[in-house]
Amino acid sequence: MSFPLTLISQAPAIAPEPIAPEPIALDSTSTPEGTFHGVMESAIQGVTSSQNASSQATERFLAGEGGDLHTTILAAQRATLSFDLFLQVRNKVVSAYQEIMRMQV
Amino acid sequence: MSLFDALSVSASGMSAQRTRAELLTENLANAETTRTPEGGPYRRKDAVFATDYGVSPFASVFEAQTGDGAGGGLAGVGVADITVDNREPERRYQPGHPDADAEGYVAFPRINPAEDMVDLMGAARGYEANVAAVAAVKDMIQHSIDLFH
Amino acid sequence: MLDGLASHIEHYMDLLSVRQKLVASNIANADTPGYKTRDIDFQQEFQSAIGNEPPAVIEAPGLKIKNDGNNVSMDRESRLLAENALRFQVATELMRSEIQTLRSAIQEGSGS
Repeated sequence: MSFPLTLISQAPAIAPEPIAPEPIALDSTSTPEGTFHGVMESAIQGVTSSQNASSQATERFLAGEGGDLHTTILAAQRATLSFDLFLQVRNKVVSAYQEIMRMQV
Repeated sequence: MSLFDALSVSASGMSAQRTRAELLTENLANAETTRTPEGGPYRRKDAVFATDYGVSPFASVFEAQTGDGAGGGLAGVGVADITVDNREPERRYQPGHPDADAEGYVAFPRINPAEDMVDLMGAARGYEANVAAVAAVKDMIQHSIDLFH
Repeated sequence: MLDGLASHIEHYMDLLSVRQKLVASNIANADTPGYKTRDIDFQQEFQSAIGNEPPAVIEAPGLKIKNDGNNVSMDRESRLLAENALRFQVATELMRSEIQTLRSAIQEGSGS
């Protein structure tokens, strides 16, 4: 019967320390890749870069130089598809977040 | 490298062949003309074709300049010159003719109608080929646009 | 997006465009004295697949030279004109199919 008391007296030594939440850095250089924020960040960059590529291709087409029509159109399609994918991922993430928040703790 | 440039090239081809056809038609119409405003009989005209690298308003300056070979530039065509046949006209003996000279000879144009007729058919065929090229390229551009859907 | 097969299809379409432009040039210059038929080595350019340089324009081999130095064969150019246009149409359809597949994959994930 003394066993539980022994454990209780040793309790402070084995109690886990509370873990401080990892601070979320707002600039991409210090964000670790595996984190959720890192994934969203790189996805946004992907969308932005394909949007830029599409804008550039369209500008060049309008100015009358370089590239065939199909190149310009495909750049636009890539940008659209990238953005659609990003949108779907974001929606999924938001609904997953909401579901988690609804969980009873 | 745009397909629109190809349209300009074909348009230049149509233009050049049409000019050639017009000159040949003029030759045929004037095969027997002994009297012209410039004096003397009609003189046969011909078009000299030359490759024209500056045909497209769409082409970037860079592309037009690297025309021959390296950049795959636009080899359109243009009428570089219209030559007039300056050989001695053909003289036929027709003393009753109003344009006969003192010895009764009339100066006629040096035109072989059969030859010019064949050339005219060639120009027409060349024109049609350029028209076909325009249609084919236009189709390709149209299909590119379908990529949007 | 649209890498792999789709980028090969796009490269194929690029090469067909260049080739068709050269065919148009050849047809326009069919009666130009001294003009030599131009083309690209399609197979080689497609295999090398380095997308960003323009393909090398070469003189088409094996063509008969006429009296005025011109070697354009209208038969050859007409055939290529039709062939390039048809191949381009096929490539367009293949590309549309790729885009559609990708679009469906993206949208399948929604609404669940």
